[in-house]
Amino acid sequence: MGLTLIFGVMRVVNFAHGEFLMLGMYVAFWAFALLHFDPYVTLIVSLPLFFALGWVSYRLIMRPVVHASHNVQVFTTVGLSIALQNIALVLWTADARFVRTSYYAVVVRVADAAFNVAQFVAFGVAVACTAALFAFMRWSYTGKVMRATAQDRQASALMGIDTDRVYALTWTIGIACVGVAGVLLAPVYPVYPTAGLQFVLIAYVAVVLGGLGDMAGALLASLIVAAVEVAGSYVIGTAWKEVLYLLLFIAILMVRPAGLFGQRGAEALGT
Amino acid sequence: MKKTWMAVIGLVALAVGVSAVQGQQALSGEYKIGVLEPLTGNLAVRGKGHLEGYEIMRDLINEKFGGVMGKKLVFAVGDGPDPTAATSEATRLATREGVKIITGTFSSTLCGAASEAASRQNVIYWETSCVDPRFTRRGLKNVFRTEIDGTGFGWYNIEFIAKHLSHRLGKKPNELRIAYLSEDSSYGQSVTESARQRAKQEFGMQEVAAPEYYTFTTNDLTPIILKLKNANPDILHHIARDQDAILFWRQAREQNFQVKAVVHAGATGYGNPGFGKAFGNDANGPFALLEPGPGLILEKLRPEGQRIERAFRDAVKAKTGSDITGDHQLAGGGLWVLKLVLDAAKTDELEKFRSAVMSLDLPVGSAVNGWGVKFDETGQNSNARVQHYMLQWQNGQLVTVWPEEFTTHRAKWIPLGAWDQRK
Repeated sequence: MGLTLIFGVMRVVNFAHGEFLMLGMYVAFWAFALLHFDPYVTLIVSLPLFFALGWVSYRLIMRPVVHASHNVQVFTTVGLSIALQNIALVLWTADARFVRTSYYAVVVRVADAAFNVAQFVAFGVAVACTAALFAFMRWSYTGKVMRATAQDRQASALMGIDTDRVYALTWTIGIACVGVAGVLLAPVYPVYPTAGLQFVLIAYVAVVLGGLGDMAGALLASLIVAAVEVAGSYVIGTAWKEVLYLLLFIAILMVRPAGLFGQRGAEALGT
Repeated sequence: MKKTWMAVIGLVALAVGVSAVQGQQALSGEYKIGVLEPLTGNLAVRGKGHLEGYEIMRDLINEKFGGVMGKKLVFAVGDGPDPTAATSEATRLATREGVKIITGTFSSTLCGAASEAASRQNVIYWETSCVDPRFTRRGLKNVFRTEIDGTGFGWYNIEFIAKHLSHRLGKKPNELRIAYLSEDSSYGQSVTESARQRAKQEFGMQEVAAPEYYTFTTNDLTPIILKLKNANPDILHHIARDQDAILFWRQAREQNFQVKAVVHAGATGYGNPGFGKAFGNDANGPFALLEPGPGLILEKLRPEGQRIERAFRDAVKAKTGSDITGDHQLAGGGLWVLKLVLDAAKTDELEKFRSAVMSLDLPVGSAVNGWGVKFDETGQNSNARVQHYMLQWQNGQLVTVWPEEFTTHRAKWIPLGAWDQRK
């Protein structure tokens, strides 16, 4: 959600998104290891924490480059990504750590399928966040302002919209979302400094496939990508899973450049 | 009487002094070598473990074993997190630091590139860890490896399965059904393919399906696990890199995948202490082919092997406060053999150094890790001399369980019981 929001509204390709996810995972791990906080208790604390982190990172890093060329933005976020990875490496070493809750092995079985409880919760929270963000963007005044800024920044500014505040809010909400996602993923995946990298590519595919800035589209696209990945791994072979969903991605973009659910021409807006 | 006591005390003091001098010979000058390891990035945890092993062995050599060639051994350290960086750092160590020998590099993804760069600078490359068989098959005269190669890992794993697991499972080797799963680097592929070849040709073991290879950074192994469940093998031969072992173990439990034994090779994946930290007692069961761990009967080694092994283990304990790890053992074991070669060659000039390498002939049990030494013309230490051991996760610790004559521990949970009953 955070990625599609930042990508859709600000048109910034945030290469550091995975590293904010990694930070969320570490917050959950250290809260669990040091304070014995259950990750779902940490979730409540992490929301304001990552809201603050998002605001600070926007003010210090993104604000100076938000109107710069794409090249500058790309180098800035790649630099931020590398810096965050190495800070994590220095602070917490490269050890893969694991949040082993008392219920980590509890499985929910639906027909022949088995799901870990943490996966179930993560899916539920993701759907709830998507719905909330969708409603916010659709019906709230601030959401409309953000969509207007995404469509035409200059026209929005002429209409009296403070686009700098819109971008700050967009970035902050985006980082808060990915921080929450990190906390939710910590009980499922090992935590290490480059943990975010393995999620970034597939997240970009889902965001572009769903249509830039389209919350529901991103959710549905992520389900499609996951289904292609898992079915392809099972039927054809694990080595093919990325090939399959990237081929599907390319094929769909050739037919619908705005993504499955994006408005026609939206991919060229705000550029 | 008083004079007699004074004489006794004097003699004792003299004896202590002489032995101290023998242990700590006066070192004249320094001898610098390059140490290249991945100290940042994905492989950093292993690279740092190796560097620690090198440093502890270096200090031991300097303090108690007369340095190298009578000089104090010192390091110039390089960071090679990926093949490009490893190439640059190997070149820097040779050209800027002026070293004539580089040692490293933990990973099969790094050793090939780094040694090519060293070769271009006419520098000796002393590999202590990577197992890619191609490393010593490129005709490079400057390249040597002390550790077993991937084919040796595969050989040992099948030896263990055929000679130990099969009768514990009540089956003949040719009745065993094996599934092969591996991460897709040259390390995983070489171990897996050599194991497959030996299992089929020498023992007629049955493969339940084609081997599955995956990228170790994958975030989902469920489709593979479902396939394995359907195939229902007796034994899973799984070569994992690191966090993929944690992911697999967790998802296998979620999917209630039952297999009679899991066998791995190397200080990665199941051989990594991080696996035990992640799961505690829930890690119980899998086997990992490694250097000897807790349970090793030191007295089974030759006297010279016992001496250095004991000294190294004590030094690791004193420095880190914990038991020796596979990273320490590979790095320290390799550096010890380098010391023996340099002391014999008395030079780092390639031809004489190479001649000393080829002349070194130590039986199994003579060196650190219970290794022996006999290099072949390719620069590979003989797989048969690099004695390896099977360790098993038991109650949060990797313990030595095979060959049984070398250890006080015994393999448990054969076959593996239900997930919640491996206590």
